[in-house]
Amino acid sequence: MGANGLGIDVTGLSKTFVSGRRAKRRVVEAVRDISLQVEAGERLAYIGPNGAGKSTSIKILTGILHASAGDVRVLGLVPWKERRQLARRIGTLFGQRSQLWFELTPHQSFRMLAAIHRIDKADAAARVAELAELLDAGDLFDEPVRTLSLGQRMRCELAACMLHRPDILFLDEPTIGLDLLAKQLFRDLLVRVNEERGTTIFLTSHDVADVEQVAQRVVVVNHGSVIYDDSVAAMRRTLLATKIIDVGLLNGADALALEGVTVLKHTANGAKLVVDTTAQSVRHVLDVVLEVWPVSDISVVDPPLEDVIAEIYGAPRA
Amino acid sequence: MSWFATAVRTGARQMYASWPALVVSAFFYLVVVTAVTTLWRAGAAANDGHVAGYTATMLTWYLATSEASILGLSFRMIEEVGDDIASGSVATELLRPVSVLGIRIATEIGRAVARLSVLVPAGAALCLVTVGPPPHPAGLLLAVPAVLLALTTNMLLQHAVAGMSFWIRDARSGWFLYQKLVFILGGMLVPLEVLPAALRHVAEVLPFAAVAYVPARLASGHVEPELLAVQLGWSVVTGVVASLVFAAGERRLQVVGG
Repeated sequence: MGANGLGIDVTGLSKTFVSGRRAKRRVVEAVRDISLQVEAGERLAYIGPNGAGKSTSIKILTGILHASAGDVRVLGLVPWKERRQLARRIGTLFGQRSQLWFELTPHQSFRMLAAIHRIDKADAAARVAELAELLDAGDLFDEPVRTLSLGQRMRCELAACMLHRPDILFLDEPTIGLDLLAKQLFRDLLVRVNEERGTTIFLTSHDVADVEQVAQRVVVVNHGSVIYDDSVAAMRRTLLATKIIDVGLLNGADALALEGVTVLKHTANGAKLVVDTTAQSVRHVLDVVLEVWPVSDISVVDPPLEDVIAEIYGAPRA
Repeated sequence: MSWFATAVRTGARQMYASWPALVVSAFFYLVVVTAVTTLWRAGAAANDGHVAGYTATMLTWYLATSEASILGLSFRMIEEVGDDIASGSVATELLRPVSVLGIRIATEIGRAVARLSVLVPAGAALCLVTVGPPPHPAGLLLAVPAVLLALTTNMLLQHAVAGMSFWIRDARSGWFLYQKLVFILGGMLVPLEVLPAALRHVAEVLPFAAVAYVPARLASGHVEPELLAVQLGWSVVTGVVASLVFAAGERRLQVVGG
């Protein structure tokens, strides 16, 4: 951590990109005046829609990009000036980019990563065994990466970015493309890593469920600025107080009238209900629906991130 | 530098893990060498048994060595590295605490060694069967370090060209031009002595001759150790140029993004 006990300390961070020349010159402000302090050991979700500035922020925090303005310290280091020192102390996982060699087994890739991080052979072997247990992935480490499913590969990717025991894990959309079960497993692993190792988690995602199940605190960015910064518990009370129930019907059903439930759509084949969880429990609504309607399929989902952000804009500012 | 040695081993393991690709490249190599050497031997036969001072035996060893020096590397390296730069893969390599260029060169050396472990015995067997032993064993011995220096110079030069993708985003045109320059001015398809005098002088002062002509000339029986010094010089120059291009490219990437 930095001298002030913070893992990440950002003040007035801005990043502008310039494209084109002369008359066609265009200046894009990807990040605007962001200030953010993250305690060591915290689990923070950094979310926002496409183009909000999440990836640009994470690239600056990890040293891939220079900031245009502002003071940025990660573990007390200025990321773009002390990139290699920082790389020894942080782990990064970009959901769409692999750090494993596809033709080789994860074990062989770990040998390479251990050499890069100057970890001796015996220590590396012990760490791999530890990670295999922590991530429940020992049987995957000897299979060629190209033969693993995406969920299995992501567990190996997580092991790869933790081999050098980083103080902070930066994860950019790590659950993208995973199925529901694999997502759930991956979220549980992140919480376990944080609780057992004290590793700070800095997570970006489009998925509201990632935020609810992994993070303790959520920062929402849009158009390059922070528009919300609070605990996930507070967010759950104020912004995630709705759940959406999608119901498939075998044949038509009568209208449903329940307090706290809004019927968005109702046809002979299905219905979409929005439940205000402050007025009605999801469990009770499911019980009633299953009892009175001929249900063929049913699922409960979170509201899309875009709706949450619209809610933030609609809510009175503190 | 233990990471460098580990990266070399990782590159070699990668190639051996894709052994069907190795088999295909060996087959392709044998087909090309057979076709080209047959043509040149016919040319020599029609010209009192030699071409520009090279006998049929010398030409066969020359071409087997020049082709192995070039095919020891990925044929589309400039394009592949350029795509990695343009797609942002190289940006994420900045997250490793070691040189991006260094780790790429180390893994390429490993891959090249794995390819050569297949191409060299195949080429030697072809030469022994068609024309017999090398014209001068000392020349062949000198060709061993020359092939390694040729591969190193070639991969550094290709990385320097591919590094243009940090600015122009598309290295395909660079790859097309580079390939043609190596074919002709590098002496891959024809010994430089066959070229017109003016073109030969141009070829001699360019680095392309170090990537094919030098090891091939040594393997064809010319015991000229001074050629190794020329190659060493070019490998240092191309190493400095590639390092400068990548350092400038990485700085640009940090400012404008990838």
